[in-house]
Amino acid sequence: MSLLRYESQVREPLVTGAKTYHQVTEDIIRPIEMNPTRLWYIGFIISVALLCFGIFSVTMEVMYGVGQWNLGKTIGWGWDITNFVWWVGIGHAGTLISAILLLFRQGWRTGVNRAAEAMTIFAVMCAGQFPIWHMGRVWMAFFVMPYPNTRGPVWVNFNSPLLWDVFAISTYFTVSLLFWYAGLLPDLATVRDRAKLKWRKMMYGVLSFGWTGSTKHWQRHESLSLVLAGLSTPLVLSVHTIVSFDFATSIVPGWHTTIFPPYFVAGAVFSGFAMVQTLLLITRKVLKLEDYITLEHIEVMNKVIVLTGSIVGVAYITELFISWYGQNPYEAAAFRNRWDLTTPYAWSYYIMMGCNVLSPQFFWFKKLRRNLLFTFFMSILVNVGMWFERFVIIVTSIYRDYLPSSWSTYYSPSIYEVGFYLGTFGLFFTCYFLFSKFFPVIALAEIKHILKKNGESYKNNMAGIEKEPVEEFAHEHAHDHGV
Amino acid sequence: MSKKYWQNFGELNNSAAFQQQAKDEFREELPFEGEALSDAKTPRRDFLKYVGFSTAAAAIAAGCEVPLKKVIPYVNKPQDLVPGVSDYYASTYVSGSDVVPIVAKVRDGRPIKIEGNELSALTGGGTSARVQASVLDLYDTARLRYPMADGKEVSSLEAFDKMIAGAIGGTAVVLLTPTITSRTTLKIIAEFIGKYPGSRHVQYDGISYSALLDANIASFGKRVIPSYQFDKAKVIVSLGADFLGSWLNPVEFQRGYAKLRKIDEKNISMSKHYQFESVLSMTGANADERFTHKPSESGAVAAALLNAVTGKEVSGVSDKVKKGIVKVAKDLLDNKGSGLVISSSNNKNIQVIVNAINDATGANGSTVNWSLPLLNKQGLDSEMATLVADMDGGRVSSLLIYDVNPAYDYFDADKFKAALKKVKTVVSFNERMDETTELVKYILPAHHYLESWGDTEIKPGHISMMQPTINPLFKTRQLQDTLLKWSGNPLGYHDYFKDYWVTTLGGEDGYNNAMMNGVLQPETAAAVTAVSLAADKVAEAVGSISSIKKGGKYELVLYQKPVLGDGRQANNPWLLETPDPVTRATWDNYVIMSPALGKELLGVDIADRRQSDTFEVNPDKPVVKVKVGSREVLLPALIIPGVETNTIAIAVGYGRNVKSGRATVGAGKNVYQFALGGDMNVSDVAIELVAGEKYKVAQGQTHSSYEGRVEVVKEMKLEDFKKNPTEILQERDKELKPWGGLENFSKEGSPYPYYDKPGIKWGMSIDLNSCFGCGACVVACTAENNVAVVGKSEVLRFHDMAWLRIDRYFSGNPADPDSIQTIFQPMLCQHCDNAPCENVCPVAATNHSSEGLNQMTYNRCIGTRYCANNCPYKVRRFNWADYTGADSFPHNQDQQLVGHLDDSVHMMNDDLTRMVLNPDVTVRSRGVIEKCSFCVQRLQEGKLKAKKENRTLTDKDAKTACQQACAADSIVFGNVNNKDSQISTVRRENQGRLFYALEQLHVLPNVNYLAKIRNSDMLTGVKEAHEEHGTEEGHGTEKKAAKEHA
Repeated sequence: MSLLRYESQVREPLVTGAKTYHQVTEDIIRPIEMNPTRLWYIGFIISVALLCFGIFSVTMEVMYGVGQWNLGKTIGWGWDITNFVWWVGIGHAGTLISAILLLFRQGWRTGVNRAAEAMTIFAVMCAGQFPIWHMGRVWMAFFVMPYPNTRGPVWVNFNSPLLWDVFAISTYFTVSLLFWYAGLLPDLATVRDRAKLKWRKMMYGVLSFGWTGSTKHWQRHESLSLVLAGLSTPLVLSVHTIVSFDFATSIVPGWHTTIFPPYFVAGAVFSGFAMVQTLLLITRKVLKLEDYITLEHIEVMNKVIVLTGSIVGVAYITELFISWYGQNPYEAAAFRNRWDLTTPYAWSYYIMMGCNVLSPQFFWFKKLRRNLLFTFFMSILVNVGMWFERFVIIVTSIYRDYLPSSWSTYYSPSIYEVGFYLGTFGLFFTCYFLFSKFFPVIALAEIKHILKKNGESYKNNMAGIEKEPVEEFAHEHAHDHGV
Repeated sequence: MSKKYWQNFGELNNSAAFQQQAKDEFREELPFEGEALSDAKTPRRDFLKYVGFSTAAAAIAAGCEVPLKKVIPYVNKPQDLVPGVSDYYASTYVSGSDVVPIVAKVRDGRPIKIEGNELSALTGGGTSARVQASVLDLYDTARLRYPMADGKEVSSLEAFDKMIAGAIGGTAVVLLTPTITSRTTLKIIAEFIGKYPGSRHVQYDGISYSALLDANIASFGKRVIPSYQFDKAKVIVSLGADFLGSWLNPVEFQRGYAKLRKIDEKNISMSKHYQFESVLSMTGANADERFTHKPSESGAVAAALLNAVTGKEVSGVSDKVKKGIVKVAKDLLDNKGSGLVISSSNNKNIQVIVNAINDATGANGSTVNWSLPLLNKQGLDSEMATLVADMDGGRVSSLLIYDVNPAYDYFDADKFKAALKKVKTVVSFNERMDETTELVKYILPAHHYLESWGDTEIKPGHISMMQPTINPLFKTRQLQDTLLKWSGNPLGYHDYFKDYWVTTLGGEDGYNNAMMNGVLQPETAAAVTAVSLAADKVAEAVGSISSIKKGGKYELVLYQKPVLGDGRQANNPWLLETPDPVTRATWDNYVIMSPALGKELLGVDIADRRQSDTFEVNPDKPVVKVKVGSREVLLPALIIPGVETNTIAIAVGYGRNVKSGRATVGAGKNVYQFALGGDMNVSDVAIELVAGEKYKVAQGQTHSSYEGRVEVVKEMKLEDFKKNPTEILQERDKELKPWGGLENFSKEGSPYPYYDKPGIKWGMSIDLNSCFGCGACVVACTAENNVAVVGKSEVLRFHDMAWLRIDRYFSGNPADPDSIQTIFQPMLCQHCDNAPCENVCPVAATNHSSEGLNQMTYNRCIGTRYCANNCPYKVRRFNWADYTGADSFPHNQDQQLVGHLDDSVHMMNDDLTRMVLNPDVTVRSRGVIEKCSFCVQRLQEGKLKAKKENRTLTDKDAKTACQQACAADSIVFGNVNNKDSQISTVRRENQGRLFYALEQLHVLPNVNYLAKIRNSDMLTGVKEAHEEHGTEEGHGTEKKAAKEHA
């Protein structure tokens, strides 16, 4: 006698609390219709303050020159590009979740995709600040755009990885934004329909592009989502690949490494998921969305973290091995400047190794994967580690390269470099706070799609049936239809 | 009324129906003429206007306003002046008693660059850093601008003359000057003295060569300094003399010395240079073998060497030095007549012994040439001492001070200052408010040399003329004019000068020719003559040497930096910012000490890698107190290998008074006070660490070992090179074998297509054997290319802008000062044919010219700095701040929180100082990258010239500034595609030494180096490292070996 199985028992419900459709709507839209909490105000004010400090720091830098940062003739990039790559990396999880997981039909993505995508967009916005403001003459930044001009015309240099960055990042940003917004449309319409105040009706009316929920709308919406998912999928891989080209195509020992593209992409997904964890753990708590962002979600994402963290670890070790095996004395020296404890920057290398390679291994234990506090702590640790990864790659490679005469000093950031970095946190969280106030942080419509199959009440209904043996079930139902 | 034709009846009748039909014929209204649109608030035309206006407004707003400066054209163009075309005037650099024949480049009425005069038989167009920088002194903001009395301006020169006439009143005067080599000036002085009976002329040189003069009168009966013929000296033994950097006449010596240091591969030989010294001087850094001893042992070393060459027992020196002396003596005797021993000592007895050595080894009359004495150092310590005593005793009523500054550089400056107060009338002709002038009542500033007429005679018959290259900028007057006036001569100096030379040269033509060429010299070199030695004085000298008392535990050497010299040009930011060749430090003087002393005194063990890493890059250096007798000074300490264990060294020339100029403020401390009796060696000093005190020293280079990276610099022993002159070539070929070998490396080293390079292809070759590190090229580059001065604060932040720098690497065991070997490598943009900087620029701001130049387009650059990161030679420089005031943002030079632009930077941006800028070279604004351009403005000029004359380009048409400045002709530049050019010849004939730095990267540089060959028994560090090349240990050995900093 075999038992009937609609779904594996290991699959937990993705929406807990036996929700009805209406309850779902209530739960998710409540924060939008409520007045913001005290906590929200405090967070928002801090974010805006950070943003202002960032703007001030950048203003000083633009006014007095890049000399306001502690870079020099040997170390031409420091915190600026480190932060750039770090933010771009963080901006990888959203699209991965929404695009690749959509194509793979991973139902659990619906709980987290909206917030993750928003995070992606904000992270890419933050990332974009760095290559722009690190320019010596930022008022000439438009030179990187290939457009017909009266200066010759002078064209951009299509050989330059920095130019590829311009295209890669802007494309990624555009597609992510469209994808995110397309997903928002039905939800915005829901908010509009529930709105009682005139301005809310107006605002959400405009934002929802006249969505009525007709079948035609849904059909087009689904097609658009698929097309955008198709477009985004290669982008997830290409963006960080191209960012890695900034280093890989150079001749600086420690940068010139063919392993960079996969290594960077894995690292990006790794740090992106860590950031999603950080944000969602807070969001679900503050907005009381524990029923929608469940332990199951957290655990699944922790699994991604342990996977990508291990890939990154393998990459680190491969790199180290090749520096010895490759017999290139310059590369060997560059890596020696990382691992050798007597060198000035070894500490940063070991922070990176500790945070990125060792710490995720704890996630092999299910208990730890499902421990919220531990997950939160780890998510911070991973992003610290990933920041150091970029710092190690950038600074410890160039501070001592080919000519020993140009070997440079310990580089420590100036107040404006730190200010700029904090400012991007300000930008990120200002955007995120506004987002959480004005937009549904969970994809309402999509949750409803899966509610029937993955909601707790459905599972409960099914439990009885699943306990029936097949024969019994067949026997019982044979009469129903006269077969 | 004209006839009306109609086409149909409708038209004829013009009925209502017809009108309607006509109106309806074209049913559609043109959209933009419809009522709705033209009635709208913004009709189409207005809309276009608005778009146009707002686009234009946005464009104007975006293109930030650039401050306008008006240029006023000539109403009447002066004859012989073509705007934009430079004129060249032969003249002579005179700074104190230093004399170098030059050619001044004058552009639109202002001198902007100094070149050496190639017609000079002595310097052959060579210059020094100070000569190159002297043009900036002309535009120094600290120059005095008018005659003064009691600190107030005197209305006119005549009024000043009257005032002085009253003050002196015909009494005896003393004229205090540096050594004067000018015939006419000496004549004028003689006449002047004649007018004021009882007067005298005292010559005083801040750095004294008195002992040398005294010794020569004792040994040879002549109070002159002979010519030292380095070009004929196969064995050179220098006892502490920095003859390539600061001793006597370094430009001439560099030139002579270089002759026997260059290698002819067909006939390999080179001179052998031994250096006995206590600190690592620039000359010592170039020596084949060095032996260190305490400064107090200088006499003993000289005496021992005399013993050795005369076959007597060598004693009184350490075993190491003894071994060296035996070796040196053998070498000298083996090369009788072509050895040369010199000493920088200001001890008469030591110089007498050196004379005896030169006599014993046959140098007297061969490399020591008495027929052509050097006339530029004639100051005697005794005369100065007498003068000070006379002043103190009230026996001097009037003192005229010209171009000397005893209140600063006299060892007993306090005594001089006190004595000066007792002189009734003191007139200073100094050009700035220096330490002496600020104590003086009457001040009549003299012209800068570029504003002056004159003549110099550095050796008999070797005359170099001076002529003004610009109208005097200020109300100043030449000394000669003043003296003529004050002695009642109606002639102005120019007329006097001209009369003299027209008469001497037999006519106007001769005079004009002399002014045009700048130099007059004997047609045939005078025969080298010897003077017989007074042997009896030698024993006496040896006797008194042995009575020199032993030094204390620590001893001190005072030295002149090859770049800054005696401090006369101390307000010159170009000189202050050029790193010292040995320490690579800028803007300050400091105490140099050995690693052993560093460990003992500072607690810094540079053999420990962590400590050395920290010490070398951390600009905060510990401060030590140096005390000689009751005089003391606090200075930061640098650890430099190659310094005798318990000896410290401090450079003179720093620590000028505030009024001397804005750049000198805070730059070091004055240590002339330690040079007791003019002796730069001090045998007993107390030195202690000042706990907790730190002082920032700005260094252009912090790491000193080349870590066994033989791809960067290559050196070989002479012996090995003789055995196998193609070793380097073979090694290179072996290394490049997998990519086509030497032959095809440029084609096969890359998967990309190979392009032919027809036409001109510029290339440069730098001979490491004849680069002595002096820095003349660095300053020349700065002057030619308007390279910005960034100030000490910015050098500290690694923001220096030098397009050309001289990398200095040490090797050897830091614990053994004698084992330290130094190599200098000028590093500039290598103009790679496969340049890594070019393909990474997103906006193509740097690209390759068809002539092989890697060019920077400043107005295209957006400042991503990727090119600088990707440059393996790290020669690209970024404008971190608005150093030049060329930026379009106003008020952006007053950084508050981060970074600081020193006053020296603001001084360089003064309208007066900016007159020195080369109009052919863009002044770079903030936020762009810059780097060596191979002086492209000169290349363009040279090409145009050749084209206008319808001939092919020759080597003479286009020379880079660095090449031109080098006294040793270490740099060769030209068109590689021309098989007859100098560069092609050099590359062809030096195949065995030729290499490209980091050749294996396939960046294909257009600059090659010629490996350094050491005429030495050992090659420290490199060989071991080379053998283990590629392993961590290889680097480790080298690293351990040379962990110096500073």
